This record gives sequence, C-alpha cells and structure tokens, in this order.
Amino acid sequence: MNAMTHTTNAYNFGFLDEYAKKEVRRAVLKAIAIPGYQVPYASREMPMGRGFGTGGLQLTLSLIGPNEVVKVIDQGSDDSVNAVNLRQFIEMTCPGVSTTTKTAECTLVQSRHRIPELALTASQIIVLQVPYPDPLVVVEPSEDKRKTMHGEADYSRLLVKLYEDIVKFDEITISHRYPTRINGHYVIDPSPIPRWDVPKLNDSAALVLFGAGREKKIYAVPPHTRAEPLAFSDVPFRVEDFRDAAGRRRACARCGCTDSFLDEFVADSGSKTWQCSDSDWCDEQLLRTEHPQGELA
Amino acid sequence: MMKAESIWQADVQQRVFRELVEAFSRPGDIRDLSACVDGASAQRTVLATLMDGEMTLADPHGQIAEADWPLLQAKPGATESARYVVANGHRAPDFQPPLGSLESPEFGSTILIEVDSVGHGALSLDLAGPGVDGRRALRLTGLHPDWLTRRADWVGGFPLGVDLLLSDATRIVALARTTRIRISGEAF
Repeated sequence: MNAMTHTTNAYNFGFLDEYAKKEVRRAVLKAIAIPGYQVPYASREMPMGRGFGTGGLQLTLSLIGPNEVVKVIDQGSDDSVNAVNLRQFIEMTCPGVSTTTKTAECTLVQSRHRIPELALTASQIIVLQVPYPDPLVVVEPSEDKRKTMHGEADYSRLLVKLYEDIVKFDEITISHRYPTRINGHYVIDPSPIPRWDVPKLNDSAALVLFGAGREKKIYAVPPHTRAEPLAFSDVPFRVEDFRDAAGRRRACARCGCTDSFLDEFVADSGSKTWQCSDSDWCDEQLLRTEHPQGELA
Repeated sequence: MMKAESIWQADVQQRVFRELVEAFSRPGDIRDLSACVDGASAQRTVLATLMDGEMTLADPHGQIAEADWPLLQAKPGATESARYVVANGHRAPDFQPPLGSLESPEFGSTILIEVDSVGHGALSLDLAGPGVDGRRALRLTGLHPDWLTRRADWVGGFPLGVDLLLSDATRIVALARTTRIRISGEAF
C-alpha cells in the first residue's frame, strides 16, 4: 500500500477513465429502462482477475462520488478476502469516499452472493457481482439464439429443465442463481444469491444493478418492479428451510436470531453450528439483545 | 486560459449521472439539476454527461449550438438511426426513431425533449409501471400532443421502444419504455 500512495494521483478518480465511465453509465440507463435485459458493454481490464468482481466494481466506480458511503460484502461478510480487497481498492482510487460495514449507513452496497437482511431503502443502490449472467446458458449454447429467446420471452426450455428436476427429485434443485422473471418478460440470473434473497428483488425500494465483468453484461431490476422466481402453480417457489430434525427453526449460534439466512459450520469434532451469514445483521442483533456472551467482532 | 463550464467537469457529470439513474429508476419522479447546470439548460447538461465520440446524436430541431458539437464529440446522425435524439417539445415529432430489435432493444433511442415546465401545467399524466410505486402524477407544460400518441406507437411492442427524458431549464423527468401513461387532466 505504501509503495502505491505516491502514485495514486496518477489515477483518475474511480480508477476508470471518463470515457469508460460514460460507456458504463449509458449501459446502466438502458439496463434500468429495459428491466432484466442484459445490456452488453465493453468491460475494461481491471487490476485484478476477471471473476473477482470486476463487473460489479466497474458499476461501483462509474456510480461513485466523493460523498459516497460504500459498503462491500462477500457472502454476507464485510471481512472476507474479496470484500476487503475491493473495499481497499475503492478507498485507494476514490479519495474522499467513506466506507462502512453498517447496512443502515451506506448509500451504495457492492455485494457478492448476498442481499443484506436489513431491507434497503430508496436512497440506496445495491450492485451485485455476477459470474454467469444468462439463465438460458444451461439449455442453449448459442448466444445469438439465447438473445432471440430472451427477446421473445421464450423460456419454455428453461421451464422444461425445472420440470425435469421435479420429476427426478420431487423439487426444483436450484439452490442459488434462481431464475427470476422481471416485469413479466425477461428472466434473469440474479447472481449466486441464495433463494432466501430472491423475494427481496420483488417490489424493492432500492435499485438493484448487476455487473458481469467477464461476460461483459449489465442488467437491472428497478425499484417497485415485479420479480417472480420461476415456479409451477402446483410446485411453488420455496426459500431455504432452516428447521432441524424436530421441526424447530435453527437459531444463529452467535446472536440467537431465528429469521435470518444461516451459514452452516462444521467443527473439528464433527458437530455442526449455524450462524447468520450477514455479519452486520448479526452484530446488530447482538447489540440489541445486549447479551455480552458472544465475542463482538 | 478559457475557464471550462462546470458541465464538462467529471465531478459534475458524476452527480448528473446519479440524478439520471434516479430519474430512470423512478419514472415520473422529478429530479432537480440546479446545482449542476451552471447556467446551461438541463438538456445540455445531460448531453455533456452522456455524449462522447462513440455516440451518434440527432438534432432535428436545432437544439445544439454549433460550438457545442466539438465538445460533445458525438457523431451527428439521422433521427432514423441515432442512439440519442435531442428535440424541442413544442414541435411535433416528425421522424421515426430507431426502436431497437428483439435481440438488441438497447438500440431503441433515448430522446431528450425540452419542454417549458416539468412539474407544472395543464397537461396531467397518470403513470404506472416499473419504478412507480402504485401510480404517480406528472404535470407538464410545452409538450406537443403528438409526442404522446407517437410514443404510444413506438413503445407498443416491448422490449422494443424509446426512452424519453423530458427537461425544462433545471429539472428532468424520465418516461421509460415500460411506463404506462394515461392522460388524466384536460390536455393543453
């Protein structure tokens, strides 16, 4: 880091040059105007590997201003490697911005694989990092054909795939990246968020932006827009079930919360414990209950 | 050295872009650019934010000053093919903008229309659709009635369509191709 400081001024605010930002910005506006449509854009080389959140990062850097309060999360945690690295990069290239781990305080969230438990507001924007933007890729290898299928809202082959799941396993086996229909037309890959987070896309107060850097696509779910996970009338969409063998809802081992998305941890002894995936949510629950038994991170 | 107008500066353009994001995310929601325009019109401010040498821009009504073209860098294009069109709301739309294709609906143009007032006036629109929580009312002055009938034709076949950004001196409001519009007040 120290070696970098004397050269930071050589970079434009937000690392990207203004032409790159303008291109991303025009794509963002079209993505919002055509909900769920994957707008192609010229994804720039970033000083990190494709697949490390470069799509989300380019969105963040094109949106960000000096008064921004940014939160970066990876699998719900502010402290995992991907989140820490991206946050440091944003701090280094965007002088003046502040960063936070608190969902309630931020104006912009960049996230990998989770939408925060705390409902986002109209004054916030969430940017999701997307590895595979096209839900049709599992049934159609040709992008040209997929674009036509999307345009015609022809998702029959995707529904057949879901039906085959039901025939074989009695339920739809997609655990994350659940195909979701936006405003009754385009079906999107909502990025690898768990099923738990999919209902948050529907009628959201906040704008949701998706950036796929390697696949060079940007798409959006505008606020107050219908987002319906694909399902059948007799096999409804279900979120993850955290009940134990006795049918009781498992609680977070740290804060005791019984209505959040839980991660499973296996101890050396082989015993399993469950904890909130959203670390800020977990901290807030701990503070609220004022039980000092857990170690505050 | 000539002092550049602030609308050409990167930090101002970032703020204008965020207002555009809000406007398109919430059709009918009026955004105020007073802090950014620096004496320019809102339409000109938005152009400065979005244009560069990659873009084609049509100006059928002569909205853009000759001296601005080199600064915008956009390639002048025909209204039938340009990605962006600037227009004067007083004049009837006498052109056919590109609507995009089924495979690439983003080629449907963005039309920037300058009107007398965004937020006040006899023309009252009732809006619904993505970005609108329930319904939202929008009042306008200085929009030729043909715009709304032509737009209804242009956006009839989603995902094809055009996206409109209306502006007065300092305010902007967006009508995306998904926005459903009903004329509710006495028109004009």
